[in-house]
Parts: sequence; C-alpha cells; structure tokens
Amino acid sequence: MEKRTEPAASPLLLAMRGIVKTFGRSVAVDGIDLDVPERAFLTLLGPSGCGKTTVLRMIAGFETPNAGEMRLDNTPLADVPPERRPVNTVFQSYALFPHLTVNDNVAFSLKLRGGVADIAVRVRRALDAVHMADFGQRYPHQLSGGQQQRVAVARSIIAEPRLLLLDEPLSALDRKMRGHLQIELKALQRRLGIAFVYVTHDQEEAFALSDIVVVMNKGRIAQKADPQTIYNRPADSFVADFIGNSTLVEGRVLERRGDAATIETALGAITAPAAEGLAAGDAAMLVIRPELLSTRGEGEATFTGSVSNCVFQGERSMIQAEVAGVPLRFAAETPYAVGTPVALWLDASRSFITRIAA
Amino acid sequence: MMVRQRHLALPVAAAIVAGCLAPLAVLVAFSFYEVEDFDLVPAFSFRAWGELAVSSTDWFLIGKAVLSGLSATVFTAILGYPVALALTRLATSGKGLAIIVLLTPLYTGEIVRIYAWRIVLGGEGLVNTLLQGLGVIDEPLKFLLFSPFTIGLVLTYNNLPYMVLAIWVSAEMVDRRLIEAARDLGARPVDAFFRVIFPLTTPGLAAGSLTVFALAAGEMLTPSLLGGTSGSTAMALVDNLFGTAFDWPLASALALALLATLFLVASAMAGLLLRFKGARAVMGRV
Repeated sequence: MEKRTEPAASPLLLAMRGIVKTFGRSVAVDGIDLDVPERAFLTLLGPSGCGKTTVLRMIAGFETPNAGEMRLDNTPLADVPPERRPVNTVFQSYALFPHLTVNDNVAFSLKLRGGVADIAVRVRRALDAVHMADFGQRYPHQLSGGQQQRVAVARSIIAEPRLLLLDEPLSALDRKMRGHLQIELKALQRRLGIAFVYVTHDQEEAFALSDIVVVMNKGRIAQKADPQTIYNRPADSFVADFIGNSTLVEGRVLERRGDAATIETALGAITAPAAEGLAAGDAAMLVIRPELLSTRGEGEATFTGSVSNCVFQGERSMIQAEVAGVPLRFAAETPYAVGTPVALWLDASRSFITRIAA
Repeated sequence: MMVRQRHLALPVAAAIVAGCLAPLAVLVAFSFYEVEDFDLVPAFSFRAWGELAVSSTDWFLIGKAVLSGLSATVFTAILGYPVALALTRLATSGKGLAIIVLLTPLYTGEIVRIYAWRIVLGGEGLVNTLLQGLGVIDEPLKFLLFSPFTIGLVLTYNNLPYMVLAIWVSAEMVDRRLIEAARDLGARPVDAFFRVIFPLTTPGLAAGSLTVFALAAGEMLTPSLLGGTSGSTAMALVDNLFGTAFDWPLASALALALLATLFLVASAMAGLLLRFKGARAVMGRV
C-alpha cells in the first residue's frame, strides 16, 4: 500500500510556468507551474473557487493569463486563439449545439476544416467509441444527460487533439452513470493515447482516473503526485483534510528520526512517518485515516473513548468517538449506540505527520 | 407546459380577434359603398375595387411600402446584430445604461426627430458644413435631404431599437458555452456567428423583422416631411382619400389591398426565418 509510484517519465506535452490570473481584485490562479506529460491522465482536484477551472480555461484559450508562460509541444500559446490550439474541451454543461443533430455536432470541427473527405466514417467511429452510434439522427434535447456527455466526448475527440480538457464532465450525472462513464473515459484515454487534463472536486473520481493528481487550494498547487502518494502522504493539512475522512490532530514535533517523527498531541505522543523538512519543535498535524483505527488489536489499546455519533452507510457504519476531546472517525461493520465505550488500536506506521497548510 | 390551462387565454384571445376583425369588417363594407353628393351610400358597388385594380399609382405606392419596409428590415438587421451581440457582453449596469441610450430616441417624439434630421442633413446642416470645412466637398451634398436616401436613413434609424431589442433578447438566451464550444472546435469568431449565434437567434431576428417591416412599411410622416418629391406613400394617399378627397370606398379598398400585401410579405418573411433549424431548436422546446 505504501509503495510510491512515480509518474512514468514521458515527453513533455504542456508546460505552464508562473501562471497568474486575476479577475478584478480577486486572484484566481496565483503563480502556478504545471507540466503535463504526453499520454498522461492528470486531474486538477480542489474545492470550488480553488482556480482549477480557470487553469483549464487558460489552456483552452478562453482566458488569458496576466503573467507566466504556457507552451504546448514547446510552442508558446500566448498568441494562439482557441480555434487554433490542438486542444479540445468537454464542458460541464456538455454545450452541445441544440440546433444540430448528434451527427452534425460531432462533425462540427471536421466540417469547419473543409476538405475532410471521410467525415461520415470518422463521425461513425467517434460515436462508436462512446457507444452512441445509433443516435446520430437525434437532437441533443432528445438524449439523457449521460448520452449527451458521451456525444460531447465524441465531438471533442474526433479532431484528434493533442490534449483533451474535461471540466467536471460527470458532475451532473447520477452516481451509477458517473461510475460507468469513469471506467469508459479511462479506457478511452488509454486507447487513444491522448493526454487528458481533468477537473473535478470529487477525490474518489480523481483517484479512480488519474496518473497524476494536482490538488489546488486558493489558486496554488498544494500537491502534485500520483493518487497513492496524495492519499498516504498528503503534503499539508489542507490536502489531508480535502481528500478523505481523516481526523487531523494538531501537535508539536518532539523528535525527528529519518522518515519518521514523534508528535505530541492531545491524544498523547505518537510516532509515525512524517513529511520531509519537519523538525523537532515544528507545529504539525497528525493525519489519522479511518481505516487505520481498529476496534481489535494486540496488547494495550492506543486510545479509549466513547461513541459520540454513528452514521449507517450500508455495508459499513462510520463511527465517531471522542478521545480526550478529539473526535476520531473510524469504520465498523455494525452500528454502535451513542455512548458505548470503545477501545481503538491505531496503525501508526501507516498514518502520517504533515505540515499545517498556510 | 400548462396545456390544461390553455382556456384561460380565451377571453384575451377573443378580445384581440374581435378588435382586429371588427374594423376590418367595417373597411370591407365601406369598400363596396358609393359616394353621392358628399354622402356615403350603402351599396354593393365594385367601383372602388375596379379603380384600384387599374391604378398604376396605387400599386406603385403599395410596392414602395413593401420595398421601404424590406430595406429598413435588412439595414436594421445588419446594423442591429453587432449592437445586440455587444450588449450581451456588457455587465448588468452597462446593460441598463445601454437600454436607456437605445430607447431615448423613441421617447423624443417623431416630429422633433424629423426636424432634428433637417438640421443635421440640410444644405447648411451639420454634415455638409463639416465636410466643407474639412475640404472633402466644395458644394453641399444635395442628396442628404429630401431624397430616397433620407427616407432610408431615417427609417433605419427610427426602427433600429426594435430590431436591437428583439435580437438582443434572443442572443442573451444563447448559452455562452456554446460559443466557446464552437471556438474550441475550430470556429473563428465569424464561423461561430454564422454556425451557432445566427441560427439560434433567428427567433429574435424574426420578431424584430416583423416589427420593423410593419412599422417602416406603414410610415407616413417621415417620408412626407423628409422625402421631398420622393415622399409620397400609400398611407398618405389613404389619409388623403379618407379626408380631403372624401372617397371612403377607394380609401378602404386601398387600405385593404395594402394590408393584404404587407401581410403576405410578412408571412413569407416569417416562414423563411423560422425554417432555420436554430429557430426550431429554440422554439420547439419552449
């Protein structure tokens, strides 16, 4: 589980350096550097307002950065209008043309180019790729949300872009449809070999799809890594808080030894792997993910407390227990009554001590 | 939507139909009357219709009404599109200001505007003085005032707000993401206009066109006060026949013929514009 996989070293497709974007007096993107390798599935993950969609819109050419440089295939993008960028976008709202049939929507970019001979064949192939070949004659309003999104994907891949941008493409769909389309999108991306830059606020979606996850906070990149690293070793307390159900306990580093450190918290002194650069005396945050707490264990229990809340979720229940005033969350197979005393064992070797986010 | 409540529209619909058909019925009746010693006599005479049928002047004026309606429609549409699209990009406060600017001429009153145009376009008016001062011309331009040019210019100016408002409302309803999607898929701004914006705003264009066509074709004051010798209109003739000439039957027949012609042209125009796929996409879902 703890294995760290580095993203495969591929040639660089898109390079962003020192990108800043302001809207009036608010800073949407605050000086980011971002590399997108060829064939990568990179996800920009963050809460609404973190600047992830603005980054996407700058790559597409809908917004112009106030500062910084962008290069695609080592060509500067600054003076290239959206229609001349080898980049296509799948919009959150699908943005299908309501006055055109599915076929005409998908053929839109090829018809504009002129002189493309095999439009009908390519439209058919693109619709086949998203399992919509039988819907060519329909109009967008005759399709469900999931079907519209498939058509939007077909429309954006038909011109074989170097880079596909997807702006929360599944957020308007129900959970089940979202799951189906996630699997299809991932398979499609592998098959086409096109790099995807995907924007979402859903961490499960980001983890399921991505080679590289870029967590954004207030216009800056909080962490850029593969999903497992983001999950197991969050770069700071913002990332740790955003990506899971973890309990974050503030404390002070007592001692640092190699990769591990001992932190003094309200729960007592706990030794766990720690973020690089944390030294004795630093304020830090202990991240306890729910699956690291168990109600069974050997020897003395790490914590004892009482259940303060229980949420039944079907296959499991999420329990919250108060330990020395700290609410600890963990999963159990059966619901617990509020007030029940519990003993908890912590797998400290898999928890993590991280920085406190600015 | 709300199909079962449709009967609630009946009283209003009835009032509109009655208010529209009753005067027409009166006109139809009058067109068969006779005039004897300055008195209208009920009869079943085809005298007025016969005179109208062979009058080249009357049909010339009807044709002229159609032509001036169509030209005002075309010019206001060409000028109106850029204005309407620019309006959609303004902030809300800017839109409020723009509406005021757009509508102010309409509140000024037609006579005031007409005399203002005389001052602007006259031999010693603003335009001629300016061009002479700049040395562009030696003699005042005569065609600026009391010419077909003047009528075309002023009818376009007068009716531009209606066209802009109609297209603007339609353009506001076009999702901006669609324009971005078009650009993203390789459309230059001009391609995005003709392939996305124009098709999806044809309902507004149709509404604006029908309004401007009706207003410009029926305009009488502007041509007669600014058109000089070219200022005769079918409307002025109808006015004259009802008034000074006291030939109500012929006036009624001419008015009906004008109305029928304008109605046919307007229907053809609406049919043409609403045949666009965009119009069907927009209207079909309302």
